[in-house]
Amino acid sequence: MRVSSFLCRNSLLWSRRNGPFGAFSFAWFCSYNGDAIESSKAKIFDRQLKRKQRDRAAWLMRPRDSLVDTVAENLLDRLEDCKKTFPRALCLGGSLEAIRRLLRGRGSIEKLTMMDASSEMVELCKNAEAASRHDNIETTFVVGDEEFLPIKESSMDLVISCLGLHWTNDLPGAMIQCKLALKPDGLFLAAILGGDTLKELRIACTVAQMEREGGISPRISPLAQVRDAGNLLTRAGFTLPGVDVDEYTVKYESAFELIEHLRAMGETNALLQRDAILKRDTAFATAAIYDSMFGAEDGSVPATFQVIYMTGWREHPSQQKAKSRGSATISFQDIQKQFGNES
Amino acid sequence: MARTSKSLLQKAEPLGKTLTEILVCPLSKQPLRFCVETNSLISDAIGVSFPIKNGIPRLVPTDGKILEEEGTPKPKDTANSSSRTEENHGRNS
Repeated sequence: MRVSSFLCRNSLLWSRRNGPFGAFSFAWFCSYNGDAIESSKAKIFDRQLKRKQRDRAAWLMRPRDSLVDTVAENLLDRLEDCKKTFPRALCLGGSLEAIRRLLRGRGSIEKLTMMDASSEMVELCKNAEAASRHDNIETTFVVGDEEFLPIKESSMDLVISCLGLHWTNDLPGAMIQCKLALKPDGLFLAAILGGDTLKELRIACTVAQMEREGGISPRISPLAQVRDAGNLLTRAGFTLPGVDVDEYTVKYESAFELIEHLRAMGETNALLQRDAILKRDTAFATAAIYDSMFGAEDGSVPATFQVIYMTGWREHPSQQKAKSRGSATISFQDIQKQFGNES
Repeated sequence: MARTSKSLLQKAEPLGKTLTEILVCPLSKQPLRFCVETNSLISDAIGVSFPIKNGIPRLVPTDGKILEEEGTPKPKDTANSSSRTEENHGRNS
């Protein structure tokens, strides 16, 4: 990295685009540090390409993808932990269809708005909705961009985003817009892919490219780390933030099946600085390296998916708050005396 | 132009009450106006129209078209090109 800052006039921008690893992705979130105008224009992902990939994914999608379903199920499970009901909900990009299918009356949603940047994806959901009228949720559809949320302020009780926000260039900005769309005491639920996702593929790609091409290009996006997720929530102004992480390992026959699966989820490379050409022998070398480095005894290859779940609420006076400093009436020493010195 | 479409708004509402209540312009966050003639949502604050296809409004900024002075949308894709130059700026800086 140090070399790159000599080479590149704008080292900050460079590191943001190229940083496939955790340390760099930290810089990616700081969209307001230093020169605000310049950094707000910094783009990591090709959103237009992502839309196209998601258009294709709408056709390629597997009917019941177990990974996506597990994540959606886990996310929706959180609604059952809340006593509050959510009459009006907004469901953002990513696994829209899975969320709609698995909702099953959770959160007692009455009016659901589904939004995705890909029109094909939205059409697919609309058709699926017409085919199966399983519950009486009034569902509406919008094609929109998470970075430019077309939702009125304070109009939603719940915003759900399942595996979509990790493709936004300005994640804090997108989250702030989500917060604004929420009513006071509204809930924001999101699942994004974390930095450990596809670590095996990252290593295999790097090794193969070094070997065949003598250099590397970013093949896998910079992703948020767990510690960033908490910062993101607080920075976006959510109260009672909660972050937790789950790791899923999916077994594939070979690295090619993994890529097929990623394509079907619309999760393929959309970095602006990507190398558009993937040479055939590099691809084969990647698969071979993947297999030799990570292959299991039964011939399958594992792939890690790290999912970060984020929960946050829009501020409301009824929410619990920490008491002000110095307002305690009992000293900790008394508490210790009361409960003894067991620990 | 604005008056006619406003009066028609009450009669023909293809999006339903729910959507018209919550949707705003993605860029200015100002209310949108439905135009029957072009079947699009118009943001008066920035003078951009967003198409409605299959009853689904498309509110992605790059899908929008900048309106001419008279208020009729031209097929020329000005919104797209402006965002493209913005992108180039980002790349050059």
